[in-house]
Amino acid sequence: MQLGFYFDQTRCTGCFTCVVACKDWHDVPAGPSSWIRVFPLERGKYPDLFVAFLRTSCYHCLKPACVSACPASAITKRKQDGIVIVDREQCLGKDSCRSCLESCPYDAPQFGDGENASMEKCDFCEERLAEGQTPICVEACPMRALDVGPMEELIAKYGTARETIGFVYSEDCIPSMIFKPKGEDSKRLARQENTR
Amino acid sequence: MTSRRANEDQVVYTICDSHCGGSCVIRVHVRENKIVRLETDDAEEPQLRACARGRAYRQRVYAPDRLLYPLKRSGARGSGEFTRVSWDEALDTIAGEMKRVRDTYGPASILFFCSMADAHSLHHERTINRLLCQFGGYTAPWGSISTEGAIFATGVTYGTLRVSESMLEDFLNSRLIIMWGWNPAVTIQGTNTSWYLARAREGGTKIISVDPRYTDSTALFADQWIPIRPGTDAAVLIAMANVIIREDLQDQYFLDTYTVGFDKFRDYVLGLEDGVEKTPDWAQAISGIPAATITNLAREYATMKPAALMPGAAAGRSAYGEQYHRAASTLAAMTGNIGIHGGGCAAVVGGGPGAMWAEASLIKALRGTARIKSPPNPVEDGVPPRRVTLSHRSSSVSSSARVNVSLFADAILKGKSGGYPADYKFLWLSNNNYLNQLADVNKTVKAFQKLEFLLVTEQFMTATAKYADIVLPVCTYMERNDFYISLSSSFYGLVNKVIEPLGESRSQLQICTALASKLGIKDYNDKSDEEWVRSVVTTLSKERGLPDYDSLKKNGIHRQKHDEPIVAFRKEIEDPKHNPFPTPSGKIEIYSQSMAEWNDPLLPPIPKYIESWESLNDPLAEKYPLQLITTHFRRRAHSQFDNLPWLREQQSQMIMINSIDAESRGIKHGDLVRVFNDRGEMMISADVTERIMPGVVDIPQGAWYHPDEKGVDRGGCANVLTKNVTSPAGAFTSNTSLVQVEKVKS
Repeated sequence: MQLGFYFDQTRCTGCFTCVVACKDWHDVPAGPSSWIRVFPLERGKYPDLFVAFLRTSCYHCLKPACVSACPASAITKRKQDGIVIVDREQCLGKDSCRSCLESCPYDAPQFGDGENASMEKCDFCEERLAEGQTPICVEACPMRALDVGPMEELIAKYGTARETIGFVYSEDCIPSMIFKPKGEDSKRLARQENTR
Repeated sequence: MTSRRANEDQVVYTICDSHCGGSCVIRVHVRENKIVRLETDDAEEPQLRACARGRAYRQRVYAPDRLLYPLKRSGARGSGEFTRVSWDEALDTIAGEMKRVRDTYGPASILFFCSMADAHSLHHERTINRLLCQFGGYTAPWGSISTEGAIFATGVTYGTLRVSESMLEDFLNSRLIIMWGWNPAVTIQGTNTSWYLARAREGGTKIISVDPRYTDSTALFADQWIPIRPGTDAAVLIAMANVIIREDLQDQYFLDTYTVGFDKFRDYVLGLEDGVEKTPDWAQAISGIPAATITNLAREYATMKPAALMPGAAAGRSAYGEQYHRAASTLAAMTGNIGIHGGGCAAVVGGGPGAMWAEASLIKALRGTARIKSPPNPVEDGVPPRRVTLSHRSSSVSSSARVNVSLFADAILKGKSGGYPADYKFLWLSNNNYLNQLADVNKTVKAFQKLEFLLVTEQFMTATAKYADIVLPVCTYMERNDFYISLSSSFYGLVNKVIEPLGESRSQLQICTALASKLGIKDYNDKSDEEWVRSVVTTLSKERGLPDYDSLKKNGIHRQKHDEPIVAFRKEIEDPKHNPFPTPSGKIEIYSQSMAEWNDPLLPPIPKYIESWESLNDPLAEKYPLQLITTHFRRRAHSQFDNLPWLREQQSQMIMINSIDAESRGIKHGDLVRVFNDRGEMMISADVTERIMPGVVDIPQGAWYHPDEKGVDRGGCANVLTKNVTSPAGAFTSNTSLVQVEKVKS
């Protein structure tokens, strides 16, 4: 079984409630580490504009590049649900090694600003999951733009869109992510926007 | 990483109502009198989910800059130099000054203003009001900074202040929604407004945004964006009326049955009154919107019934803003969209449907019971009402002894010699940052310097608090008990105390109780906040069969269920014979005889377009060619939350400027620019964007004023540039200012 995220880009207002709720729940201070990020995606010239938002975090890939890149075997993929977990005790730290970050197409590995901070990232709120709750970002979203579940269930519920504006599907990693893309020409736009 | 098991926490229900426009359920995880983290509503949908500001509240409670002890000024006013003093010393000083000022100058020389920040029912303006009325009276404010233009227009047109929009769920019944200067994705306007708008759009509702900016709401919900020059909204609405009349699209039965004065408005629109027909071409020249776009918008609004015209309060916060709101309601009447599902009366947007469930008398009982009662204010005793006021307003609000909140700096500076009812010597500001939030900061600084005493009760050392003689530390809503009735959703509940107040901070009720005893007032209050709340809930439970205190404490809130969305003015439309509008005529007043009697060309009896001061036609525009608007910002609620790192890192305070205006000034994205006019000056980074129309710049309001040694603001406080005047009916005019922007040479 592989757990994944669903993101309805047509619903996201860019309010970053998910970002703050995540930082509060996991006690992540303001600073360079943010397990979830929300980016505005803007194109066009006044007055013909297109604006969307992309919420991004670790996508708990089916074939996570970070797991094989980590020289300390600090990152593992859980068999029971496919969640990618980092053991921060084992991590070599950002001053000696950033292999995971270099390998990840989505900048999911995050580092705090402390000396040789070890890697941290979305853990799918495994603690909440164990208690039958959804991750804090799903609970928080005022627009109900987020969902989680086994990938086959997400696909049955929401379709098969694996790309959206601002997000390119990695065939190597196979991110566990389903989208409801904004705009009909989202695939073309996704490639255009990938320069950021 | 250290595990913080959620199931070891005690979870306390409370309600976040941070003056952001919403009211949401927060479940606070507490361990050993310490807040460890937050969750939001876990009830069945529709849940009341908190936004980023609500979720960041733990950082607010434990902010390193929280005020925890009473402070006494030790340097010059504004220097920010203070010494810690005991509560006893602080209260003795305040009581002494209050008595001295009252006995020397009379009670009217004491001014008090309170905002809605962190205010619920008990710890609120009424608490201080009772104390000051018992003390001998004071000068109270009138006027809503946010919506005075809308309140006035709604009062004239519909005869009530309690009206608002239909319930949010009713958006799902609309075929067309026009968001006019309305950005609920940021301003919330009732928890879940954006959620319902998204669902309406998904269900096929067409949504159009009329706004100088391509807002986040425009991006998310709108099928079409119509950029409009600030201050010209009434012209466009009146030109839409022209199209509707010329093409005979109006709902004549509705106009004949429910309104008065349409013929007089029609004469004005067709040019029979002043020789100028208010055509789409006429409005194009004023607003910058192509005539064909105005024509199409008018046709769509008149024919896609039911349609909800949502006039945001922003355009009302400009010169002659009341005309815009009057025109919007007139259009709603012309299209017969009032009192029906999916329609809308285009009145006070954001007043919330709570005001409509008030009609069922429940909320009235709730509010009446929950608030602390006051004796009449002796300063207002026997004083006649203001010349321009509405008959249905209470005599105290209409009293000419009051000062318009937006003009308090002017009142302090001029006093009696400027036509104000008194000379003001003592000012008490509670939980507001009015130096920052009212127009013309530099003028307010001068007003502060003129005062004999300034008392600020606050949570943080705001720009305003820096000028205080005494600052008293107020606790947050998580450190006290209160009772809350939502205006935007049908619920009420307990604001449960989560932890003990930090440091020596106290609630407003505790502060007033202690001050009352220093002032020698015996019967101010003998109950704790918990006892107050318990008695309110117990009364309601006995009299109305509502949940008792213990079950409310456990469940947090009581949600009032409705079989279908409440529609504003439904009974007035369905059964007009038995339900006249509470206007003098009993009908919707497109023409107001009361206004006609004022005989004031700037407050005409029908809605008219009146060109604003500091428009692009003002000679001042040669020097200052850009129109400044000051909008709401996601990470703040006005000036609240500006200091929280979790929120600060999400958005930078910048001036939005169109790439065309930036290019002609040699400005690139991120450049430091100077923004100035005759009133003030600031240095701020430029957000060069396509998302604002050329000729208009936006500085989001609420950033804390932070002058450098030359008096140039470095904090990005928009009000260093705004003008300290009001619209004729009393509206705050923060969106009517001309400025110039230039690149700062490095």
